[in-house]
Amino acid sequence: MENMIELKDITKEFKVLNRREGLKGSFQDLFSRDYKIVRAVDHISLSVKPGEIVGFLGPNGAGKSTTIKMMTGVLEPTNGELLVNGRIPYKNRTQNSQEIGVVFGQRSQLWWALPLIESFKLLKDIYQIPQDEYDGMMELYAKLVNFDEILHKPVRQMSLGQRTLSDILAAFLHNPKVVFLDEPTIGLDVAMKSKIRELILELNKQKHTTVILTTHDMGDVDALCERIVIIDKGKMLYDNDIEHLRKFFGAYRTLKIRPREKMDVMVEDLTKELEMMDVRISHDDEWVFLLVNEEKTSVLKVLGLIQEKHKIKDMQLEEISTEDVIKKIYKEGI
Amino acid sequence: MNTKKRGLSFYIKIYFKIIAQDIKSRMSYRADFIISTLGMIATNIVGFVAFWLMFSKFPSINGWGYYEMLFLYGFSLVAITPTQCLLDNNWNLRRYVYDGDFVKYCFRPINLFFYYESEVFDVKGFGQLFFGLGTICYAWYHLALPVNFVMILKLIVFLLSASLFMMAMQTAAAATCFWIENSFYILDLSLKLKDYAKYPITIYNPLFKFIFTFLLPVAFIAYYPSLVILRPDEVPLLSWLSPVIGGLFFYLSYKMWMRGASRYDGSGS
Repeated sequence: MENMIELKDITKEFKVLNRREGLKGSFQDLFSRDYKIVRAVDHISLSVKPGEIVGFLGPNGAGKSTTIKMMTGVLEPTNGELLVNGRIPYKNRTQNSQEIGVVFGQRSQLWWALPLIESFKLLKDIYQIPQDEYDGMMELYAKLVNFDEILHKPVRQMSLGQRTLSDILAAFLHNPKVVFLDEPTIGLDVAMKSKIRELILELNKQKHTTVILTTHDMGDVDALCERIVIIDKGKMLYDNDIEHLRKFFGAYRTLKIRPREKMDVMVEDLTKELEMMDVRISHDDEWVFLLVNEEKTSVLKVLGLIQEKHKIKDMQLEEISTEDVIKKIYKEGI
Repeated sequence: MNTKKRGLSFYIKIYFKIIAQDIKSRMSYRADFIISTLGMIATNIVGFVAFWLMFSKFPSINGWGYYEMLFLYGFSLVAITPTQCLLDNNWNLRRYVYDGDFVKYCFRPINLFFYYESEVFDVKGFGQLFFGLGTICYAWYHLALPVNFVMILKLIVFLLSASLFMMAMQTAAAATCFWIENSFYILDLSLKLKDYAKYPITIYNPLFKFIFTFLLPVAFIAYYPSLVILRPDEVPLLSWLSPVIGGLFFYLSYKMWMRGASRYDGSGS
């Protein structure tokens, strides 16, 4: 078996009721229904090799979760061929479940009232994990995370971070071939985020588990993904490694400037003065960010122009950040 | 590639492990446990008192005497126990489906209906079971029914088939939430209907007799199966068939539930 996951020309359509407005409209809806077809996933093809970590990116409603739900077997594709570990997921849901692990954002799949260790024991029975494999897994977990903190705590008493951590541990427990993580770091603080990223990376390395994750967090992408897939409006916009993407936008630099003048005045002036120069301007409380395409204009020229008229407290020059790259793709395509 | 076998014994073992954990954790909320147990006892006592008050005015209804009615009452209490104990999570189904949380049950390599229902086991059902059994024994004694192996076997078989009808009605009613947004009333209706189960169907007019027999099989929860024990000389064919029909009916409602679950698309990603 070459590929762990194979999507060929996958399309998923939903039938949605066109609701009419107002009371009269909903009354009409009772008698005559007007459906429209919404295409959530539009001809996506993709193959993932064993052991890869692939990040799915895209704005809300782009079709990421729908794609994941098809790969886990919850949804049946409208069209196209889909194989996970050599199986058609929605046809062999039970067997497929044995070989995948899933974490869906903030929806814990653990038994709410039970201490984590009891949940693990139940999962051991449900997945029929042999005792030695289970022991090995527990040993590994004890090395990777602070087990004492969570092992005997009922899930309902855990913090969101501990719960996510527990859910991820549970998803890897039966040593699945593929683990799907839907926004694993959503709502967590910075320390917990990095803890979770380390854990995912380590489990991927040690168990050679294929990991598919969706995220909005560029930190996740930078820390975890060798490869990213960008989806928008159901279509695949990009599928390659992150380095490639940066190279693609390599001619872009971000020039950061801390002005002496008031921020909004400064931004207004700059917008006028640099109008001809194809520079994108944004700002926060302290800094003005100028995204410059060096193939067209040099950063020094821009800087010179600014310094003719304004006083600058501080300046920095940066490579384009992953976040900017993604934003650019959402807005303008490749 | 490992294909692991999961037979009946696997499911029974898993079920006991899960409910053992569930009960253990439920006991840890002591106040909750005590209050809900007291509530259950109070509900049953009130039901009894209402029953007794009614019968102190009318010593018999349509040829059905006090102890026969009491037998029906006890029979229906026992017959609804499995539904209450095993399928209580059906009450939460609507909320899970509506919020999109139902998706979290879909990733285990075991039967979805089983896994979903195993999450909640309502211990309070046991109280009802004891009340019901006590009532049956009391009525049995006063009716001077024979106590022998065949009678006990009949009682067990027909109690089980009666409970299948109640389980089927509630499962089918709960499953409507996969299609209808506001399905609470349907589930609530199935609960209310069981109140009609404890009366002999002969007291209803022909229309309701028809409805309760063929459309909403309420009469199968106590009346038809009890006839086998109470009126052995005039048992209609429907009574004898009730184990088969009950099994079939439950199977259909299970299939409906599973069908609903498979068309569930986990809205609200």
